[in-house]
Amino acid sequence: MDTYIFTRRLRATLFTITLVLFLVVILLPIYYIFLTAFAPGEKLFTKPLTYLPQSFAISRFHDIFSALPIARYMFNTTLLATASTVLALTVSLLAAYAIARLQFPGANLVMIGLLASSMLPGTATVIPLFQMFQQFKLMDTLLGLLLLYGSALLPITTWVLVSFLRQVPEEIEDAAKVDGASFFPLLWRIVLPVIRPGIATMFLINFIVGWNEFFTPLIFARGPGAKVITMALSEAQVIGAASEFQVSWGNMSAVAILATIPVFIITLIFQRQIVEGITSGVFK
Amino acid sequence: MGTRQSLSSRRVFLAYLLVTPVLVWRLFTSVYPFLRTFYLSFFDHSPVRRTFDFIGLDNYVALTRDANVSATLSFTFFFTTTSVALQVLLGLGIAELLNQRFRLRNLTRAVNLLPWAMAPIVIATAARWIFHQDFGLVNDIIWRLSGERPLWLVNITSARFAVTLTDVWKNTAFLAIIFLSGLQGIPSELYEAAKIDGSDGVRSYWYITLPLLMPLIISMIIFTAIFRVLSFEIVYALTGGGPGTATSLLSYLVYLEGFRVLNFGYASAIAMLLFFIVLVVGLLGYGLLRRAWERL
Repeated sequence: MDTYIFTRRLRATLFTITLVLFLVVILLPIYYIFLTAFAPGEKLFTKPLTYLPQSFAISRFHDIFSALPIARYMFNTTLLATASTVLALTVSLLAAYAIARLQFPGANLVMIGLLASSMLPGTATVIPLFQMFQQFKLMDTLLGLLLLYGSALLPITTWVLVSFLRQVPEEIEDAAKVDGASFFPLLWRIVLPVIRPGIATMFLINFIVGWNEFFTPLIFARGPGAKVITMALSEAQVIGAASEFQVSWGNMSAVAILATIPVFIITLIFQRQIVEGITSGVFK
Repeated sequence: MGTRQSLSSRRVFLAYLLVTPVLVWRLFTSVYPFLRTFYLSFFDHSPVRRTFDFIGLDNYVALTRDANVSATLSFTFFFTTTSVALQVLLGLGIAELLNQRFRLRNLTRAVNLLPWAMAPIVIATAARWIFHQDFGLVNDIIWRLSGERPLWLVNITSARFAVTLTDVWKNTAFLAIIFLSGLQGIPSELYEAAKIDGSDGVRSYWYITLPLLMPLIISMIIFTAIFRVLSFEIVYALTGGGPGTATSLLSYLVYLEGFRVLNFGYASAIAMLLFFIVLVVGLLGYGLLRRAWERL
């Protein structure tokens, strides 16, 4: 009996140690970036490090806001993430409804084609897109970025919405069809309310994906008009630097925080919905 | 009969109308540019040198002789295998951890998602500071434990591990939540039956949990491997492919060749090599997956 209690205690202790270790590995680097962003200049470089915040200096945020159009970057990022998500969801919902509900020849082919096209690496399309964007004057425009951000979301969004639609019984729509309701009122009043959880989930995930984009704006947004917050990371590092090898880690950390806070808030509030969305994309 | 037929053809017409926007959007932003990349890979095409000459397979021949390409391929192999192996093992462990009952479990699950939610470029840029020799977090901990301060990003092997560990830190959460929901899908009666038979935790994990999770594990290995091969931000911001070309990845090479050197033809050939590798990994994985399903 004693050994039984001993093993149980040992297990509980091991579990707690593992859990604490896990939380430290995740949270300590994040905490360190916060520490760096709020530490005043000279306090940053201490050996060994001081892990307790010594002061709360917001001067770096002041510096980056005065040296870079951060507000504009944040606005562009928010606009692109939101608009690409809304557009991709709308267009994907139409296609998903057709695939899930209207038996038409080639429905499976559309699904497989979308999946296959999502496997085409972004780097294997970027050079012709670059030339097309120059030709159609889409370089450095929010519209151009919107086209690419949205495009990247389409295949998976369509797949997930099809799987959500297939879980909802079709009978709910039949009554409306007998009434002779035409397609868009049917979609708006009957279908949309039923799959609202699925739409909300995909909205959250797609917003985060759009918010975090970097490669696409790196190639297609070179002027400040269409730049996004992730591009300010490298720009902030050289503010006030005497040479290109002198890196301001404090400024970088301040931008990292600005770029991260919104997605952290979303993740902490909507953890369940996000997990449901990710797993439904994988399992169904 | 006539009305029914017209109803059904109206339905088909509506269906095509509804899928058209998605297809057209993908066609112009993905399928056509991809085919065009394939086409360009047979040309010596550079906007700087103002060339656009058909050269057949010359770009592909040059690929086989390019030391940067072979260095990139060898790091891609190291990075993909090491990162995927670590992510799968740690992901299974974290899934098990998050599946236990304990206080603040929901909060812990949310914390697990934080690295997943962060932008890859933010993590890669911040990792350069975290791995800083004198003032970085990693070396501070190592110094407290051993009195050493390794030069992470200067030595080849440690730079490779810095890139890989950063990648593992960011992406393991994703695998963990997928394995967690896999665990939740296993009926608890199976474990109760095993308990009656006298099986302990380790044995029932080995004989019940793992075999049932195997198709999921294999499909996640394929998925994760493909995304490792495609990675860009992590080497762009953390190491710049260095020291030398020790941590170069194919997407990064396409970026350098295409947008720094402006060698569009050759960059397109590298991009096709990247596509080919993704295709092979995907097909191999699909074969493995089918065998795993058959065994279940």
